[in-house]
Amino acid sequence: MVRTALDQVALEVRNIRKSFGGVHALQGVNFTINKGEVVGLLGDNGAGKSTLVRCVSGIHSPDEGEIIVNGHEVNINSPLDARNVGIETVFQDLAMVPEFNITENLFLNREIKHKNPILRKLGWLDKKAMEKKAKKALNRLNSRIPSFEEQIYRLSGGQRQAVAIARAVNWGADIVIMDEPTAALGVEQSAQVNELINLISSQGVAVLLISHNMQHVVETCDRAVVLYQGRSVADVAVSEVTKEDLVSLITGAKTAA
Amino acid sequence: MSINQLTLDQIKGLALKREFFIYYIFLTVMLLFTVTLHDSGFFSLTNFMNIVRQTAPVTIMAIGLTFALAVGHIDLSIGAVVALSALVGAILLQHVGIPLAVVGALSVGLIVGLINGLLIERLQVSSLLITLGTMGVITGVARQITNLESVPIIDQTFTAFFGAGELFGVPSLLIWTLVIAVIAYVVLTKLSFGRHLLAVGGSPKAALAMGIKVTRIRLYALVISSLAAALAGLLYAGRLHGARYTLGEADLLTVIAAVAIGGTSLFGGRACIIGAILGSWLMGMINNGLILSGFSTNEQMIARGVILVIAVAIGVKELKNG
Amino acid sequence: MSTTRKNKNHSALKSPNIVFLSLLYILCSYSFSLSAKNIQEIDWSKAANSSDINLSAEQINTIKDKKLTAALVWHGASPWINAVSRGAEDEFKKLGVRVIAQTDAQYDPAKQVADLENISALEPDLVLSLSIDGISTKLSYQKILAGGAKLVLLSNPIPGFQHNKDFAGIVTDDMFGMGEAAATLVAQASNDTGKIGIIFHDANYFITNNRDQAFRKALTRYSNIKVISEKGFVKEHETSNIAAAMLLQHPEIDTIYVSWDTAAEGVIETLRSIGRKDIKVVTHDLGVNNLLDMAMNGNLYGTISDRPYDIGKTMARIAAGAEIGIQAPEFTLVPFDSVTHENIASIWHKAFKAPLPKLLDLALKQ
Repeated sequence: MVRTALDQVALEVRNIRKSFGGVHALQGVNFTINKGEVVGLLGDNGAGKSTLVRCVSGIHSPDEGEIIVNGHEVNINSPLDARNVGIETVFQDLAMVPEFNITENLFLNREIKHKNPILRKLGWLDKKAMEKKAKKALNRLNSRIPSFEEQIYRLSGGQRQAVAIARAVNWGADIVIMDEPTAALGVEQSAQVNELINLISSQGVAVLLISHNMQHVVETCDRAVVLYQGRSVADVAVSEVTKEDLVSLITGAKTAA
Repeated sequence: MSINQLTLDQIKGLALKREFFIYYIFLTVMLLFTVTLHDSGFFSLTNFMNIVRQTAPVTIMAIGLTFALAVGHIDLSIGAVVALSALVGAILLQHVGIPLAVVGALSVGLIVGLINGLLIERLQVSSLLITLGTMGVITGVARQITNLESVPIIDQTFTAFFGAGELFGVPSLLIWTLVIAVIAYVVLTKLSFGRHLLAVGGSPKAALAMGIKVTRIRLYALVISSLAAALAGLLYAGRLHGARYTLGEADLLTVIAAVAIGGTSLFGGRACIIGAILGSWLMGMINNGLILSGFSTNEQMIARGVILVIAVAIGVKELKNG
Repeated sequence: MSTTRKNKNHSALKSPNIVFLSLLYILCSYSFSLSAKNIQEIDWSKAANSSDINLSAEQINTIKDKKLTAALVWHGASPWINAVSRGAEDEFKKLGVRVIAQTDAQYDPAKQVADLENISALEPDLVLSLSIDGISTKLSYQKILAGGAKLVLLSNPIPGFQHNKDFAGIVTDDMFGMGEAAATLVAQASNDTGKIGIIFHDANYFITNNRDQAFRKALTRYSNIKVISEKGFVKEHETSNIAAAMLLQHPEIDTIYVSWDTAAEGVIETLRSIGRKDIKVVTHDLGVNNLLDMAMNGNLYGTISDRPYDIGKTMARIAAGAEIGIQAPEFTLVPFDSVTHENIASIWHKAFKAPLPKLLDLALKQ
């Protein structure tokens, strides 16, 4: 399955530009991600990684450029637009409500409504259905979650990450963007998250992984895209480069061959 | 972690949950008064009806404020809205029928809520400052339009419907309280709108990232808070057979205390309607019990403060240990 | 169970906040006790009646020639104060005195101090004022007096101020007469055999304290009238709950005395909602809501009304007279009226010199 899927481009980003006042955060970024592929997005602080993520996930609108999803150009002006075209983002802060429980967070703004049409109009929640689906979604990721009633702030960092990833893939997303998913985690929990990433990519999901951690990128990614001063300066297969190569690309000491 | 431990932990966690705190305080204070005032008629249906009737406007305001707090806003203008809404209702009743007068009074709440919400979102200033400002403006308007005179209401239907009336022996003020409470409870816990309110209060960033229209939700919350205050104004007008610019003035702090003690976070994200109701009833009950106790006015003030502080202190300590 | 306590700052922030609110709550309940002079020191037998204060045509002309200016420095704002102002303004007009400023301290001594300082810049010849708190406002009054102004006070004396040196006179209600008259109304309402509940103003305030005290004293004359329960209040909105509690414990009460009109509204509200049409209420002052209740044969049996318009008129007269060397007694008392269903309209006119409110007029014509 993986081989054939690899040839289909899930997300293509062409010549994205974005400025804030006089600051040119993105000055022409290009890359593609195939289905089932994990692509690392690398770059120093201020290279434009976060801005790029925000442009693709609908928080910012790019000034220029095209975003192509599954062969169609799309217009993304809000987080909802992004979700509607199949792009889900796992934000660095996870974008979860700490006081909500797992199910509530999984279904935030995508609540399952009651079957009765009148109650449905009122926005009446079908909590049972959501709980059932939540269990399914987390089981799909083989996660060990103590209780679905548990509020998010009571979970460990790895468990929270799992919930955030489950939320992203739960909606049949074709593309999942992850912003520093292991930044706040310990070794064991980072490994769990890596497992999750491999798992969802094997299910055909395209993953864009933003990370500082070179080891992490080398372990999980198929390719790496490097941003330097707002431009994409390299797009390399991870298996063909060394860690040192990546570092010099990030720092601008070397340009891609 | 063994099964036993888990369930024990869970039980403990449940018992110490912030939301249940108000039940303990409520029952403790009730028990305290029942024992100490056993010969003063505290524990009687008549007296409990007194308390419910007296606190009805405060309860409705507390329910409304819960919505504002749920999204992380405070609304200080509710006391002033009570007065203006009651006055507008009373003045309109001299010229038009009940339905129009009620609509007029409630639209005071609607308009003030919209103004509060729009100012806060447009200027990006804290709700505390904006509503403090609108509170002043509304109070000024209320004083101005009546020249400080009270406006009487002689319409018996109105006063029965909003104030002293009864339906099948149940005081209309209790019916109002229950109806509003049920609606608010359903909205906050059963509807997606309530979910979104709490999400916006709990983590605006997360809500935004998940595509919730944060600005609009906040606006709705302030309108609800203001509308509830306007309804409280009508209840006061019905009860007192008239309105005056001082109505609601003394209620603001009681309402905030009631809501906070009832388990609603003053910083958004956690709201408890039942807590707000029990909180207001608790404030009413403390007041009532202390009057019945025969303490002097000064002693009552001291006792009221001490009870509140002790109750809150115990609750907070319990929670920290848990 | 591993718990990363992200909620730590939450609860840490929360607890002081609630405690702070509670403290604020208590403080606010406290802040409303105003200070007043010890009334035992005053010899009321030397007080004049407002009808004794008169100016001859010749004196009026002398005053007119001086083209005086006046300032009204009030403690708050209410229909009652408006009537006082109207009385003063009408009288000043007759005397050719121009009113150059009028202030409302919103019951806040600090605001009144600021008001007085602002007004001293205008250098008025005459100042009519009610001092909220004699101690904190004293210095500011002295500043105005240093400019040569004549001061006439309403009700509250200022500690240490000397008659004819610092102020020309104090005009006040006949508080003792009012208290006694209220007792007479209570006796009438209960056919001299009442079971009485008293809801009194439990704060140090000159007028209400004197009236309540005089009422209690006068009531002892009626041997068959028993005071069943007495409860105090600090703020008007408390009386509703107090009345409910009082009647829960003493349902046999048939007449309730409350310190003043707006405080009585809460009592009447409670009586309505618990369905006690039989209990009668007696109070002081005129208010539209309660007069309507009386007009429609509700719980209010009667009220004792002072004459705010006359108070203003008398104050103006004393101040202007002082400017041409006429000395008024230290205290001048303005009379009062007992109001019951029959004389609502006529007393309203007498007290306020203003038309009867529309609804009240309608109710009386029914």
